[in-house]
Amino acid sequence: MRTILKIALGIIAAIGGFLDIGDLVFTTQAGALYRYDLLWAVVLGVIGIAVYAEMSGRVAAVSGRPVFDVIRMRMGFGVGLLALVASTFVNLLTVAAELGGIAIVLELLFDALYSMFVIAGTLALVGIVALLPFGGIERFFGYGGLLLFVVVATVFHQDPNWGDVGRGFIPSLDSSTLYLYFVVGVFAAALMPYEVHFYSSGAIEEGWTEENLKENRLNAFLGYGIGGVLSVALIIASGYLFHPIGVEPNDLGTVALPMQGAFGETGLLLALGGMLFCVGGAAIDSSFAASYNLAQFLGWEWGRYKGPQKAPRFTASWLVFLLLGIAIAESGINPVEVTEYSVVFSVVALPLTYLPVLLIAGDRSFMDEYANGRIAGFLGWLYFAVILVLAVAAIPLLLATNGGGG
Amino acid sequence: MKGEGEIYVVHRLLDEQICDSEGRRVGRVDDVELRGDPPRITALLVGEGLYPRRLPRSLARLARRISGPERWGANALRIPWEEVDELSSTVKLKKKAEELGLGMGDDPERWIVRRLPWN
Repeated sequence: MRTILKIALGIIAAIGGFLDIGDLVFTTQAGALYRYDLLWAVVLGVIGIAVYAEMSGRVAAVSGRPVFDVIRMRMGFGVGLLALVASTFVNLLTVAAELGGIAIVLELLFDALYSMFVIAGTLALVGIVALLPFGGIERFFGYGGLLLFVVVATVFHQDPNWGDVGRGFIPSLDSSTLYLYFVVGVFAAALMPYEVHFYSSGAIEEGWTEENLKENRLNAFLGYGIGGVLSVALIIASGYLFHPIGVEPNDLGTVALPMQGAFGETGLLLALGGMLFCVGGAAIDSSFAASYNLAQFLGWEWGRYKGPQKAPRFTASWLVFLLLGIAIAESGINPVEVTEYSVVFSVVALPLTYLPVLLIAGDRSFMDEYANGRIAGFLGWLYFAVILVLAVAAIPLLLATNGGGG
Repeated sequence: MKGEGEIYVVHRLLDEQICDSEGRRVGRVDDVELRGDPPRITALLVGEGLYPRRLPRSLARLARRISGPERWGANALRIPWEEVDELSSTVKLKKKAEELGLGMGDDPERWIVRRLPWN
């Protein structure tokens, strides 16, 4: 009974931890521009992250290797370094976007200056990380993120034409480059690599072994799957409200408006609160991911469970990444723009970190009987092909659409 | 696992995580020294001074400017093969890191954390 409860709590934390600023921005814009047409891209992305997270969690539990250990082993120093530089660049943009997101939500809630809240929000994150153990950090933000289920309630309250909603799940391609840009964006926002880097390192932080493989599978498929329901709901809520009137949301506050429309001030506060936890948790995950990657690639001691005394370089690099994130967030660039770049560039860097995990997960000399079977292997390679196509298409689409500006 | 048998040097040894006898992570196998005929592994080479030789020539020059030239005993260390205890998901050493000159980067004495008020 206790293990079931533990697994359930883990899944719930994964649900709340799924969304970040990239999902909030891209789903709301996708709904406003294309109503329900892009729902299928969310499903595609959610299955992708579940497949990738399950594999890397399994590799971590069985062989004790997090993602960047695997990258260094399979890609060697040179190509591995390229993956590290690309991932660090993307993670840093993500940290900046999430810190900016925290500040925007705090600004909306408390009506004070954005630039002050970037620093106050970051200090609060450092305080939470210093006080809570690893599992506590995950649960704190994961459970708080569940406030966003107000979006699902909003959708049922709106009661859209469910036939139209259902048709959105059927993949459709449109020759417009803007539509294709949003396919890439919605997919990539669901499959942000930092989430998987964090997830696999978290498996080591929590001392997972072969006995945790069931938990791993449930976290990846149920946790991220139900998390994906929130993304779906965000598209529907936005599509229902904004598409008919032709609103083009370009700030984070717009994300919460459908919930205000449905439930008044309570809805607005729940939505903003949920966003704060999601974006705050993502700021921690992405900044941790950046330090995990660096430490694992170079062979440093790492981990929240080691504490700053035993892993000083890891801890110091984490603080440096936060400081750089603050610098970008304070530079005056619109955080929504930083978010779009972080999401699009992340899909470009993704094949380099995905391939080595796929190779090791299928390698019996590392994984024994826990190596990829036929289904996992097929899904793994299928998604590698999907990621490769999107990675090649991402930058041309970004340029052709002027960053989604049309 | 470690014995007189064969190992796949590139597949399982090069770039592997090194841990000392107390399980601390103290670097990676940045290069491997082979001697004799047939060649046998005689040492693991560790340290940031070795990074340039792992890169293509055009990047190596830039990397050498950052890391400085190889200085044996400082940014490049030679760990004799006899010091290796076990090969599993890490390369486990027989001794503590300090005795082999490893792990200096994470030595708390060299970091300000030691002097923070709550420690």
